[in-house]
Amino acid sequence: MKGMPRTELAQSDWTPEARAEFLRRRRGRNFLLLAALGGFCLVIYAIALVKLHQYGTMW
Amino acid sequence: MSGVLLGAQPGATAGDWLALLKPRVMTLVVFTGAIGLVIAPHRLNPVLALTAILCIAVASGAAGAINMWYDRDIDAVMKRTVNRPIPAGRISPAGALGYGIVLACAAVVVMAMATNLIAAAVLALSIGFYVFIYTMWLKRSTPQNIVIGGAAGAFPPVIGWAAATGSIGVLPLLLFAIVFFWTPPHFWSLSLYASGDYARAGVPMLPVVKGARHTRVCIMVYSLVLLPISLIPYILGLMGPIYGVTALATGLLFAFYCWRVLYDRQDARGNSLTRNAPARAAFKYSILYLFILFGACAADRLL
Repeated sequence: MKGMPRTELAQSDWTPEARAEFLRRRRGRNFLLLAALGGFCLVIYAIALVKLHQYGTMW
Repeated sequence: MSGVLLGAQPGATAGDWLALLKPRVMTLVVFTGAIGLVIAPHRLNPVLALTAILCIAVASGAAGAINMWYDRDIDAVMKRTVNRPIPAGRISPAGALGYGIVLACAAVVVMAMATNLIAAAVLALSIGFYVFIYTMWLKRSTPQNIVIGGAAGAFPPVIGWAAATGSIGVLPLLLFAIVFFWTPPHFWSLSLYASGDYARAGVPMLPVVKGARHTRVCIMVYSLVLLPISLIPYILGLMGPIYGVTALATGLLFAFYCWRVLYDRQDARGNSLTRNAPARAAFKYSILYLFILFGACAADRLL
């Protein structure tokens, strides 16, 4: 981990502004990940529906 | 902010992770891939077609993320790229590499699920070509990097066509050739006014190695080669008059823009005395050219 920015945990010596900025960015990343995972599930579900309906098989 | 945060950073924003996907490059890739789908003789179910386009977009972004991981050393010394998430320290190199690999694998697997193995194989080939052939090998070793590497960006219409038909036809291969021959004048126009950056980073772009005058001649030559190639789909009867007229008009205009680059006011070494205004104009027009030409493909097929 040497030389790597610590981005996972809030630091105890941060100012309130820095902490708020950290939390805002982490929230943004979490929402992006949620959207990506949700979108991925939807895509797989939609593909399955269409292929099973049209061809009766996934492959 | 960095002074306040000392050794720690507030972390990347969601936008930084999206920036790793090179969204501007993705726009053109998605557009040409979608055209490949539209002009194919078989109609794909809209859900599967949208999934195929999504896979092309994600694969392009994944290749971009891996490219940024590999090029982080040269990105850090180029003005144009120094604020990218990795050289700016907002995203770790390992994080970016993992992100790119996961997205690349997901795109190929989902493409195979949604369409067919040929489309997935060509998609995987395009990612591999961009990462291994262009980024890791050609980019740092030869001034012809863009010429051969241009093939990586030319795959999307072939992938789109393969997704719809399960095969590779003559027309998508011609579209491949158009993007292939369009890429050098497009990138060399950019590199004419960004050559200082490339020289600092040690990237052997044509203007850095052979000089501006030689690059101007090459831009002109490629635009003249591109014009007849863009007309072949019409000559072979694969495209109609809408495409033919558009290809001729936009191709001649592209050649004119390149002619202005060739005869830009310049010093004895070919360096511009007009702050490369014609090269900037040619670069902008080259993007518009590809959008119009591929748009004409779709119009010709749909109208």
